[in-house]
Amino acid sequence: MRFQRHDLHTLTGSYALDALEGEELGEFERHLDRCPSCLSEVRGLRETAARLAMATAERPPAAMREQVLALAERTRQLPPLTGGTPARRAVSRRARRVWIPRFSVAVAALSVAAAVVFGVNQNSAQDQLNSIRSQLTSAEAHNHALAAVLAASDAHLVSSGTSHGGAVTAIVSPHEGKLVVVTSGLPALPASKVYELWLLGPSVARPSGLLGGAQNGHTDPVVAAGLAAGYKLGVTVEPAGGTLRPTTAPIVDMSL
Amino acid sequence: MRQPRLSPGPEEGRDQDLEGLLVRVARGDHAAFETVYDALSAPVFGLIKKVLRDPSQSEEVAQEVLLEVWRTASRFDAAKGGAMSWAMTIAHRRAVDRVRSETSAAQREQKVAPDPVSGPDDVADAVEANLESQRARRCLDGLTEVQRESVKLAYYGGYSYPQVAKLLGVALGTVKTRIRDGLIRMRDCMEVSW
Repeated sequence: MRFQRHDLHTLTGSYALDALEGEELGEFERHLDRCPSCLSEVRGLRETAARLAMATAERPPAAMREQVLALAERTRQLPPLTGGTPARRAVSRRARRVWIPRFSVAVAALSVAAAVVFGVNQNSAQDQLNSIRSQLTSAEAHNHALAAVLAASDAHLVSSGTSHGGAVTAIVSPHEGKLVVVTSGLPALPASKVYELWLLGPSVARPSGLLGGAQNGHTDPVVAAGLAAGYKLGVTVEPAGGTLRPTTAPIVDMSL
Repeated sequence: MRQPRLSPGPEEGRDQDLEGLLVRVARGDHAAFETVYDALSAPVFGLIKKVLRDPSQSEEVAQEVLLEVWRTASRFDAAKGGAMSWAMTIAHRRAVDRVRSETSAAQREQKVAPDPVSGPDDVADAVEANLESQRARRCLDGLTEVQRESVKLAYYGGYSYPQVAKLLGVALGTVKTRIRDGLIRMRDCMEVSW
């Protein structure tokens, strides 16, 4: 469905109140990139909405304070955006793309693995792993954590299709307690959503990173730590920025 | 067009403080984050609870939002809006995402009877009723009924505008324009300086 320009402009109010969904949301966000007066109006209306929010203020349970402060203690912060990166949304896909060139070698090698390995036998999987290792010299210089997993003597490959299409591949080192996760052919998500990784233990689901910067059907390799015996890898679709607990059913759930 | 602000309101001073604090938070300053927590936790939790209703789910989402403030403080840009509205935008989006995910929609329906025109004001139990929020309510009362109900259902109810149209029994185009007109009137009434 196409919208006339003047129709789009009347959506500033609905957008400021998060009342747009689906295709219309995407279309309006693209329009905002080209319409400074719409953007300026959206900002004013968001400020207005914030005043409406203030009217509902309610003190949360006291225990929440310690919990949040403790979580902040062990949560790494995002670096500031630099250069000419478009930064309209706090955690946009475009922002994450900044990182891709550093990992391009790893991405290329691992995405081959993700595409090929799914469904093949253990011997060729081992061959694939060796081939990936041999290609990773330059990635090693950039990302020690990633290289350490790939170089581990006990590293093995696990791959599985997802219920949304595409495949998830993990290079797992039980000895390092870490795994590298790459994907192939996962459907693109709207800017408001993200694929989140989980290490699933007997009684915990630990948030283990976000699959950002999907390009050409592949996502950046993500290193997840804290792997223990019996853990599985899960992937869910979550709001941009990720959540602390899964809020949707996993699209893949694989033994490691 | 917008009206210039004649004198700084009580919110503005607070917002400037928050902006400075967020700059320190972006550098990993935990003491600054504690102060930010104290300033934001009640508005964040209150807004999320207004939308989700369920206290324990609201607490969970509020935690995520406040942690998100910590994590993404470096992305706050004072040239693009105030600190409070930056945080409230994150909070409202998260609440709405939660509402629109199917599982929680089912839970929510079980917990509250549908009450589309729920009054101005279960807001009355707000702990931090201040001048600015009284003003917000007064300005809300100054809207036409369709404007007011559209804005409230979309913002406090977390409904998409097609859902609002259905609840109010009016055309889609009408809701779009009433939400925008209503917000613009609120903006001018509250002398929002953006």
